[in-house]
Amino acid sequence: MSATSMPLPRSARALRLEFKRNAVPYVLPLLAAVFYFDTLRTADGFAPVWTLRASAITDHMLFEFGAFAGGLAAWAGSREGRRKTIDLVASTSRAAWARRSIALTGTLCWLLLAFLAGVAALYIQTAVQATWGGPPLWPVLVGAAGVTVVTVIGFTCGVLFRGRFTAPLVAIGVLVLDQTGLRQALGVRASSGTYALLSPANSPPVVDTGAYYHVAPDLWIVQVMFLGGIAVALFGVLGLAPELRQLASARGLASARAALARSGGWLLRAVAVILVACGVAASWTAFALAGTAKADPVGGWEIPALHAAASDQPVPVTQDCTSSSGFPVCVNPAFSFYLHDLAAALDPVATQIAGLPGAPAGAKEVASVSGGQDVQSGTAANPPVFEFTAEHVGSMLGQFNGIPDPAGWTQGFQQGLLDAFLTGRPPHPGPVPIQLGPAQQAVEDALLTAVGSQPLNPAVNSAGVSAAARRFAALPASARHAWLATHLTALRAGTITLAQLP
Amino acid sequence: MTAANVLKSPAVPAATTRRMPPGIRLAWLHLRSRRVPAAVLALAVCGGVLHVALHWHWAFNSGPYAQQVPMIIEAGAASVIAVTAHSPFGETERVTGRWLPYLRLLAAIGLTGLAILALQLGAAGESLNDGIFALARNVIGFTGLGLACSLVTGGLLAWTLPMGYMVFCQYALLEAWTAPWTWPVRPPADRGAWICASAVFAAGLLLFTIRGPRTRLSDDS
Repeated sequence: MSATSMPLPRSARALRLEFKRNAVPYVLPLLAAVFYFDTLRTADGFAPVWTLRASAITDHMLFEFGAFAGGLAAWAGSREGRRKTIDLVASTSRAAWARRSIALTGTLCWLLLAFLAGVAALYIQTAVQATWGGPPLWPVLVGAAGVTVVTVIGFTCGVLFRGRFTAPLVAIGVLVLDQTGLRQALGVRASSGTYALLSPANSPPVVDTGAYYHVAPDLWIVQVMFLGGIAVALFGVLGLAPELRQLASARGLASARAALARSGGWLLRAVAVILVACGVAASWTAFALAGTAKADPVGGWEIPALHAAASDQPVPVTQDCTSSSGFPVCVNPAFSFYLHDLAAALDPVATQIAGLPGAPAGAKEVASVSGGQDVQSGTAANPPVFEFTAEHVGSMLGQFNGIPDPAGWTQGFQQGLLDAFLTGRPPHPGPVPIQLGPAQQAVEDALLTAVGSQPLNPAVNSAGVSAAARRFAALPASARHAWLATHLTALRAGTITLAQLP
Repeated sequence: MTAANVLKSPAVPAATTRRMPPGIRLAWLHLRSRRVPAAVLALAVCGGVLHVALHWHWAFNSGPYAQQVPMIIEAGAASVIAVTAHSPFGETERVTGRWLPYLRLLAAIGLTGLAILALQLGAAGESLNDGIFALARNVIGFTGLGLACSLVTGGLLAWTLPMGYMVFCQYALLEAWTAPWTWPVRPPADRGAWICASAVFAAGLLLFTIRGPRTRLSDDS
């Protein structure tokens, strides 16, 4: 030691040694590879919307980190048993709890560091692509709480069961638990108990979550409370681990009493018992709160005891609009990256129907969920504007959740606009609308053909519809326009037959 | 070191125990030193978890999600086998044990067969998506990875590679990958997947038999 260096406190030195000899760094390359495929590539397939991308933290990152966190923590926890040094270290002046806390802290720090590095990679990738909003912190807190609780579970199992099979069994146990939670959370209904909401893993949220309304943090608070409570309780159990082991091997009441009398100081035992009690109370409270959750009108969950009315307010945003092609199109700034593609897709179809009664003068994106129901696209009156959502355009789903097929994506919007125009249907909450009538379908197919697009599902059309569509598409644009101007009301009412189409 | 074992007197005096033939005794001592009896118990636990998961519908009944939980348990069984690779005697045993490669080979093959049997019994009477052939293929593939990993990490950490590969395969499953080297996500009749899984098992088993796991008498991590 040099003369100028400051000696570290004993616990800091022990922690530094723990950092150096911990097994987690050796597994980091494997964890990084799995993170790249499972989390980063999956998130890259989502639209660059912060809330949506952040869902990968709890749905994917926690799964892969859980496997290694549980196993490696069990490995660290079973170290003394594995090396057969229990009797040797039992004679040291430090309590077993303090000694184990250092091993646990070292393992947890490595895992949390890796977790936060992963979150940083995910958020940097999103920041480069996103056009609006900022990184949500609650999913990070839930993820960190998940990693912490899995680490503490693994470590406690390693301390209590020192066999060589503890690490892999803890790892698969954690993964099965994660998948079971996911299975339950996917099927959760307000009418059938909402305890499964405690599972951090869930399906990705609606694509425009957080873009129109604030996301209530109620569920995240409860999840952090539940996971944190388990971690605290198990940390207390670690403090009682010597007693528990001796009690397990003690035979008879006298032996049990003697085991309790031999072990540790009463103060440490009291602290451990208080921690266990506090942890159980926190988890139990979170469990009870989750049972009171109810679906909120904008597609999330609210817990009355935690809910703040401020989180129900709409997000004050000004839509991004373009009218470069003559047909004004507006979207939420979170989806600005689609704006020009969208305007280019809608403009040719809008030109075909311009000037007809009820023809939309523009297009505008609205919130996907209203009153707890999915909103379907349609033409709003006064002024007539085609309103669509990031989730539903005509019969298409998830149009704003990436563009896997550019041609199909364009045609989806064109078809949605024509669906709304030919049926005169206003935007409405409820299930996906029924298909068009035969004559409406034939006109729609003809107009799509006229703008150089293919109908999305020509195979399902009957031969009569296809023949009528070809006939109508062969007409000059002015003739089609004139016929539509005359017969549009009857066409919308469904009283025009295929034979009546010119 | 603990003195507890020294202080305990044996339950039965050595002279009165029944003598086993040397070959069987050697095999039994080898299996005990690798904690194979406990591994058999752990495999039975895996089978039990699979049964409970299928019976109580912890997994989905169909679609890509249906393979997720069985795949986790298959990887878990393979990890248990890989962990039995660790020897407490290290280099000493390696230089004196002439039968060691054969014992390693037999133990690994036997445990793989037992794992398949345990998981099949766990799935008996329940609806296992993709059936027993996919289960057997996945177990032998994951086991091959685990045995190969033991050459690098030592036996006690050999569970990490099968576990990591399984987590990757969960992604490949949902993304509908079709490459044969992602054998756990392929249908049971996929020949390429069988070839890949068998090749990995054969390579892992061969290396493990010949070279044995990395030996560290006192693991330093």
